[in-house]
Amino acid sequence: MAKKLKEQKNANGPVIRVRNLVAKYGDVTVLDNVTFDVPRNEIYVILGASGCGKTTLLKHLTGLIPATNGTIEISGQNITGMDEEQLAGMQRNIGIAFQNSGLFNSMTVGDNVALPLREYGNMEPRLVNAVVRLKLSLVGLANAEYKLPSELSGGMRKRAGLARAIALDPPIVFFDEPSAGLDPIMASGLDDLILNLKHLLGISLIIVTHELDSIRKIADRILMLDQGRVIFTGTVREAEQSEHDRVRQFFERRPDEHITQRNI
Amino acid sequence: MNEKRIQCPKHLDQESGRGLVEQIRSEGVAPRQTLVLDFSETEDMDTRGGAWLIELANYVKAQNADFDLAGPKGHVAEFLGLLRPSLVSMPETPPERPGVFEQAGEATLNTIGEFKEFYHFLVDTIYWTVLAPFEGRGFRWGSFLDELHEMGVRALKITFLMNFLLGMIVAMLSAAQLQLFGASIYVADLVMVAFARELAAVMTAVVVSARTGAAIAAELATMKVQEELDALRGMGLHAAQFLVAPKVLALVIALPLLTGLGMLAGIGGGAVWGLVVLEFRPDIWFNQTLNAAMFSDIFQGFFKAFVFAIVIVLIGCHNGLRVTGGARGVGLMTTRAVVMDIFFIVFIDMIFAAFFYYIL
Ligand SMILES: Nc1ncnc2c1ncn2[C@@H]1O[C@H](COP(=O)(O)OP(=O)(O)OP(=O)(O)O)[C@@H](O)[C@H]1O
Ligand SMILES: [Mg+2]
Repeated sequence: MAKKLKEQKNANGPVIRVRNLVAKYGDVTVLDNVTFDVPRNEIYVILGASGCGKTTLLKHLTGLIPATNGTIEISGQNITGMDEEQLAGMQRNIGIAFQNSGLFNSMTVGDNVALPLREYGNMEPRLVNAVVRLKLSLVGLANAEYKLPSELSGGMRKRAGLARAIALDPPIVFFDEPSAGLDPIMASGLDDLILNLKHLLGISLIIVTHELDSIRKIADRILMLDQGRVIFTGTVREAEQSEHDRVRQFFERRPDEHITQRNI
Repeated sequence: MNEKRIQCPKHLDQESGRGLVEQIRSEGVAPRQTLVLDFSETEDMDTRGGAWLIELANYVKAQNADFDLAGPKGHVAEFLGLLRPSLVSMPETPPERPGVFEQAGEATLNTIGEFKEFYHFLVDTIYWTVLAPFEGRGFRWGSFLDELHEMGVRALKITFLMNFLLGMIVAMLSAAQLQLFGASIYVADLVMVAFARELAAVMTAVVVSARTGAAIAAELATMKVQEELDALRGMGLHAAQFLVAPKVLALVIALPLLTGLGMLAGIGGGAVWGLVVLEFRPDIWFNQTLNAAMFSDIFQGFFKAFVFAIVIVLIGCHNGLRVTGGARGVGLMTTRAVVMDIFFIVFIDMIFAAFFYYIL
């Protein structure tokens, strides 16, 4: 890695600091008093039952939805008070891969990845093409450059979304449910890819996932949500030894007595 | 073996990568020479540096030369491992655009294909709208009522307004001419006949195609794109039964009723002009209007409305179901549906006009 980048990434302090975050849709409180830190150059996994607010949390961290209350600092900047323009500036320094990939269906995969490079990168065109090929190779899609998203499988779309998220070499990448809907082999390949992004590119990743195997393999630290509250933060090992009932339940794969109708 | 060895920089990044590429480009590589990049001194690299390597590999291969990497270590070796697919193979070229003849041929095939699809769709629709209810195979009355509300009740105001204004316009135009002959009272006849036969049906159909026709196409197209239609089929349900039939029946009822309202509104608009500006007495004006009203004219208006209703729903659904791709496809098909609607409305109206002119 280039020296400059390394220095920047070695600056101390967490990449993300969240304090007392409250999020509401209308009158319904989805996140209640959420507080946590994401350390630099780690894989931070957010987990919790379906509908507990993981996607909502991610959308707050990336400035897509304004917080009802509390503060969110990304790389030391408080984003809760930012106006549109400042937010856009912040968003250039993060990458987001959405739960449903969010690829533009009218463009080829290559053009999807090239879009942020052309808009922001002020890079000569031949280098744009090379960067596109590089990112697609990194996610194992070197042969899909001229395909349309509708011609890809679900897993390939996920990876293409990731390639677009890392197009501008952001120091922080958010990834919503990378392995949902993938076969185990593909999912494990995606885990390797995520680990590579951390080791080789020095990226800090915030990942939402339910997959226990994947969590054990990649997570440096986890945050567990339940009904909009943080019930656990720490390493996987700590989680497995936790006394908290719902945390144990998750790691022991015990089902609820009956499927509870939470948050509806 | 003809080999050319180049030492790679210690840190391969944006600047040193560019330097490397420019150095090799200026020195040039001979055909069938192998360019060996020596990574033994390279300690780290980033993605921009990697991108320059890809650029370099493309250049070398374009010169018919070979490209090889020697001695990468640790981190750099891992990184290069991931890049290998882009380094060893030539970039794929974008798929070629078909030539004129291929395009013409494809267009013809597409048209034939579209007619076939439309035929199947039509058969399904007729079955599920007309026959299935009699066989007791279920008609979705609930969604029929919803559609009737959406297509009919919610279009009342705009239909009234458009026809009313058009009625005034027709009265103004014809009054300007007929006044020259002192025959202003015939404005009442003209408005009556025009709205009964043509204008109410056409104006209302155009309004409805822009409202309802577009909505139908966009709804079905979005459902198709989001695999909702596949989900229906997967549950053994038919799009024609579930989505199309209620819409057909709803519009077949709503459009003639709206057209009736349009006739009244148009005549009303004409009357406002006749009474207020031309200063006719109400009883004279309305007597004249009623005398001009012919059952056959009014029937013709309603019959057209019935045909237009079928055309609008079928075109909307047909285009919606044909969508491919994502958001852009939805937009294209919605536009196409409205353009086709308006074309067919005018075209069918012309056929009717010719029919009544020559045959009856
Ligand atoms: N746009 C919205 N408007 C209103 N409520 C919403 C909206 N989006 C989500 N919710 C509600 O907020 C809660 C959290 O939703 P969220 O999408 O964050 O869950 P999640 O943890 O990502 O679930 P999953 O694992 O299924 O993706 C849910 O109860 C959901 O019903
Ligand atoms: Mg989610």
